[in-house]
Amino acid sequence: MQGSPVLEMRDISRRFGSTQALAGVSLRLYPGEVHALLGENGAGKSTLIKIMTGVHQPDSGQILLDGRPVRISSTLEAQRLGIAAIYQEPLMYPDLNVAENIFIAHAGRGPLVNWGKMYREAEAILAQLDVRLDVRQPARGLSVAAQQTVEIAKALSLQVRVLIMDEPTAALSAHEVEQLFAIVRRLRAQGVAILFISHRLEEVFEIADRITVFRDGRLISSAPRADVTVEQAIRDMAGRSVEQLFPRRHTVRDETLVQVRDLGRQGAFHGVSFDVRAGEVLGFAGLVGARRTDVGLALFGIAPADRGTITIAGQPVRIAHPRQAMRHGIAYVSEDRRGLGLSLPMSIAANITLPTLRRYLNPLGLLRRPAEMATAEEFRRRLAIRAPSVEVEVGKLSGGNQQKVMLSKWLNTRPRLLILDEPTRGIDVGAKAEVHQMIDDLAAEGIAIILISSDLPEVLAMSDRVLVMREGRQMAIFDRHEATQERVLAAAMGQRDAA
Amino acid sequence: MHTWRQRIRPEQIRELSLIGLIVIALLIFGWQIENFLSARTFNRITSSVAIVGMVAIGQTLVVLTRNIDLSVGSIVGFTAYFVGSQLAANPGLPPVMAVVLAVLTGGTLGLVNGLIVAYGRVPAIITTLGTLAIYRMLLINYANARTITVDSLPSWVVELSRQTLFAIGDFAVRPLFAITIVAVIGFQFVLAYTVFGRRLYAIGSNPEAARFAGLPAQRTVLAAFVLCGMLAGMAGFLFLARFGNITAVAGQGIELESVAAVVVGGVNTFGGSGTVLGALLGAFLIDLLGQGLLRWLGISEFWRDALLGLLILLAVASDSVILGWLRRVWAAPALRAEVSNEG
Repeated sequence: MQGSPVLEMRDISRRFGSTQALAGVSLRLYPGEVHALLGENGAGKSTLIKIMTGVHQPDSGQILLDGRPVRISSTLEAQRLGIAAIYQEPLMYPDLNVAENIFIAHAGRGPLVNWGKMYREAEAILAQLDVRLDVRQPARGLSVAAQQTVEIAKALSLQVRVLIMDEPTAALSAHEVEQLFAIVRRLRAQGVAILFISHRLEEVFEIADRITVFRDGRLISSAPRADVTVEQAIRDMAGRSVEQLFPRRHTVRDETLVQVRDLGRQGAFHGVSFDVRAGEVLGFAGLVGARRTDVGLALFGIAPADRGTITIAGQPVRIAHPRQAMRHGIAYVSEDRRGLGLSLPMSIAANITLPTLRRYLNPLGLLRRPAEMATAEEFRRRLAIRAPSVEVEVGKLSGGNQQKVMLSKWLNTRPRLLILDEPTRGIDVGAKAEVHQMIDDLAAEGIAIILISSDLPEVLAMSDRVLVMREGRQMAIFDRHEATQERVLAAAMGQRDAA
Repeated sequence: MHTWRQRIRPEQIRELSLIGLIVIALLIFGWQIENFLSARTFNRITSSVAIVGMVAIGQTLVVLTRNIDLSVGSIVGFTAYFVGSQLAANPGLPPVMAVVLAVLTGGTLGLVNGLIVAYGRVPAIITTLGTLAIYRMLLINYANARTITVDSLPSWVVELSRQTLFAIGDFAVRPLFAITIVAVIGFQFVLAYTVFGRRLYAIGSNPEAARFAGLPAQRTVLAAFVLCGMLAGMAGFLFLARFGNITAVAGQGIELESVAAVVVGGVNTFGGSGTVLGALLGAFLIDLLGQGLLRWLGISEFWRDALLGLLILLAVASDSVILGWLRRVWAAPALRAEVSNEG
């Protein structure tokens, strides 16, 4: 052991609504150690980081710095204690130069900027990292890797003792990853404790001294790297508890509805090929940054594909706009209800009929409100939307009911292919079960469904086949009976079939 | 379960409260000022509201889409002068042609605004601030320091502001006011019962959701600006009919008055909610307060602008505070109803 830990998290718990994000987690970070944290989406990694950096407060548990209990009440306080975090997308002030970005958080240096001194000190810090970067250059236009270096330099300038790196390599090229690792090793040699979070197992096994696995808000295993194998790590991450496995009916029909071949969009994803049959649920599994949503957006024409072919019912089609997608019978229910999906100040009825207003015109070209109401009433009954009337503003409804309004809106377009992007994110267990029932019913009606979900047990329970993506590439398609948590996770993390 | 709470929505309370405020103001002024509730006051206010109200209809359409049109004052002035000079040169021009000319002139200027905002993606406030100055400059150039006078106009134009279409007791309704009322009713209908109207609300309340619903956002915003220009053109014609004497500064300040009417009338400055009727009531209340305070306290004309500014600020503040409060009050029983439905 390397003496005493610099930061110790002791029995930390945190709840958000009905979700237990962290349940009694304990973790020790030692100086000069790279501690890797692994876990599936929603395992509790982000919550832990946010508690360490003062964004959230734990419901219970203790945080000890150098053995003394501390309260991290804000990010400023975390910074003062020597805890800093860098993220996949660094937060820069693009119009300030490198040196200004490094020293932006410094207080107590007097009211005037001593430019010469600032440049000299910035250069000294970058030299300490063995990085060559013009400190007078504006941050705008720096590569992500260079921006991360600036963030690290900023942390160093604040005498960082614990550096949290959340998916730092996700946007880097292989060469840049090597450079970043060189910096990480140098920081380790200087005695900084590093918490390293990544979905790339090979990187974790290359850089980490200790590997800890989270699942469902609990610490599952924690051991020195030498004692952990890739297979074991994946096994620990998988095996998520499943509340109740939904019994899907077999509804797949013979007719292939959608054929996608070698679909791609520059800078987002490429080489995606799959078929969906009528009545089939094709699950899209993957970790954060797998670019599954981009495939959905391409099929719906929001961010059109620039490569590959889409064939619908035997006809090759081009989809460059949502209207074209809708004409071909495609509907997309987005994950962001408030931002992308619903007009909150408008009524339930007005939201539901928005994409299909033309259907509600009378011969004079005026909207038939009673017909709109009738449609909305029908969906209110069918999907059990809980609201006093269909004229209520959507903004007043609960998350689950908003989700149902979204679904109604798109079902009303009478789609042949329904793309559901995270349909159960942020809704409670009861509403979740209702959505699952609905998916099953819709598939039984012969609608082809693409289910994008970060909830792995959900994807496995609801899908007839599972397509796994990783960083914009299609890794595998599993049939329902082959798709286990271990296999899907291994593919999502870029490992050969581990099962 | 059809209680009054469900039938009347907080937004409609806004319009009802405007009517209430108008009644209160009328009572106070009528009590304090001798001869305030007279045919003369009525005539003065309706003549002024006819013009601002017409512009406010167009402003409402634009504000609903989360944009703003600051160039309307210049459009009113330009159209008034342009149509006036055409009528002076060709006194035989049929009335219908004069109106069509005014609407087309305004529409063209609105088209320029709309193209720059919707397709050039320049923020509306910048675009129309620019065209506010440019259209005014065009007018100054065109007018070349000449004035259009009442005497040079055909008599039917000037009669529009003097004739009595019909009278309610002593209160005479002039054709100018009637035209604006008809336009308000028409556009209230457009907003409530047409695809275009629904799209304005949708685009203003959530542009991204509108995009996902496949709505033609650019075309709709363009149409809103063109209509706003056409209505401002129509207002220019009314302006000509009301004043007869038109100089290069005609219509200056109407942009502020129309924005004030829209905001006081309860149209959300972030788009997505509000009605044309509300804007008309807003215009009415503002003019009533202006007239009343002018005569009651003897405040100067210059205070009127300050009054406008104050009303805008009050309206925006009450928008977030009062409407938020009303929504909470409304939401509580709605939720209880929801629970009882379940149980």
